Amino acid sequence: MDLTPRTSEVNAPLAPRKRNTKWGYIALLVVIVVAGGTIVTKFLTSAIDYYCNVDEIGSRVGCEPGRRIRVQGTVEKGSLKSINNSTNFVMMFNDKTIQVVYEGDPGGIFQECIPVVAQGRLVGDVFEATRIEVKHSNAYVADNTDRLTKAEAQVCSPQAG
Amino acid sequence: MDAQTFNARVATPTTRLVGAMAIVSLAWVVIGGLFITPKDVDQGDAVRIMYVHVPTAWVAYLAFIVTAVASACWLLSRKHSMGFDRVAGASAEVGVVFMAMTLLSGSLWGRITWGTYWAWDPRLTTTSFLLVTYIGYLAVRGLGGSLEQRARRSAVIALLAVLEIPLVHFSVLMWRSLHQKASVLSGDGDIKMDGSMLTTLLVGVIGFTMTFAWLVLHRQRVLAMQDAMQMTQLDAALRERADESKGLK
Repeated sequence: MDLTPRTSEVNAPLAPRKRNTKWGYIALLVVIVVAGGTIVTKFLTSAIDYYCNVDEIGSRVGCEPGRRIRVQGTVEKGSLKSINNSTNFVMMFNDKTIQVVYEGDPGGIFQECIPVVAQGRLVGDVFEATRIEVKHSNAYVADNTDRLTKAEAQVCSPQAG
Repeated sequence: MDAQTFNARVATPTTRLVGAMAIVSLAWVVIGGLFITPKDVDQGDAVRIMYVHVPTAWVAYLAFIVTAVASACWLLSRKHSMGFDRVAGASAEVGVVFMAMTLLSGSLWGRITWGTYWAWDPRLTTTSFLLVTYIGYLAVRGLGGSLEQRARRSAVIALLAVLEIPLVHFSVLMWRSLHQKASVLSGDGDIKMDGSMLTTLLVGVIGFTMTFAWLVLHRQRVLAMQDAMQMTQLDAALRERADESKGLK
């Protein structure tokens, strides 16, 4: 028995709307598959290990000098300087250091003694960064003014998380 | 259907109680989060985004797990009660909304703290993939066919999609990530959070979980009405066609 909804006056508006809705969902599925593929591609090409540590440059696969990489380390205390709109600092990890230069202000909560990920290329002995991201730890500490001043309390060591 | 009739059909003393608990909890979070808890020593006021970001992430995980459990119940039960399917669908819808809120709030926090709205790091990438997967799940539910067809195909997808959750949660442990590791469920028993921040966060988790429960209870009842309408239309079509057949004879 054919149970296709009737095209009488009562049911007429329902039938075409249902067909359109179905095609809408199919179109949405196609978009989703493309979006999912794009995300996975991005993930596999750039995100499985988001960064190399400073001490791994030249010693770990994927962290070769000269290629475009992300490097993680802590901004060394006293090394941060702003010269002609460029930000210069020393990044350290496991007693290894690297000089970093970045055109502009890194933004976020960038400061000394905080872990950062710098994206760019090692040219000679200087890492020329095109993007800097602050890597915040998983510790949430209340900002109490009666504590030791922040500068005194900070220890420039790699933070967990 | 006017608003009064709708309310009379989907609201019960239980849903009203759950709704009231959600309102009270969320009010606590707003007051505690904005006025009582301190700033973070590094993040400043940006830490307050955490009181929305973390609970919505938790609720999204919970919603997708509920979807998977309800889907498994539909597949395994003898009667194939459509109630399981409707709970699965309702939970996924709410989960998608909360997951989107997680990404949005995280993105705002990232701009303030990291210095960028988005980074293709393992946690952010897997989370966005999870969101896209469940939008796809909802799209599959809307493809049409009988209620049983809808329930069967979406149940299979739900049971596969839920496997992404451990990948998302442990991505910060499996790979190096810009996103920080868990502060509360860190595994070492050491909670790296100020006491009042932690209290507000936990109240937020309770509040958003209550909100989730309230939304799912109401939404699955609305879905039941929609299914009933669909069946009524089918019955009418059957009757009309049967009458037509009799007339032809």
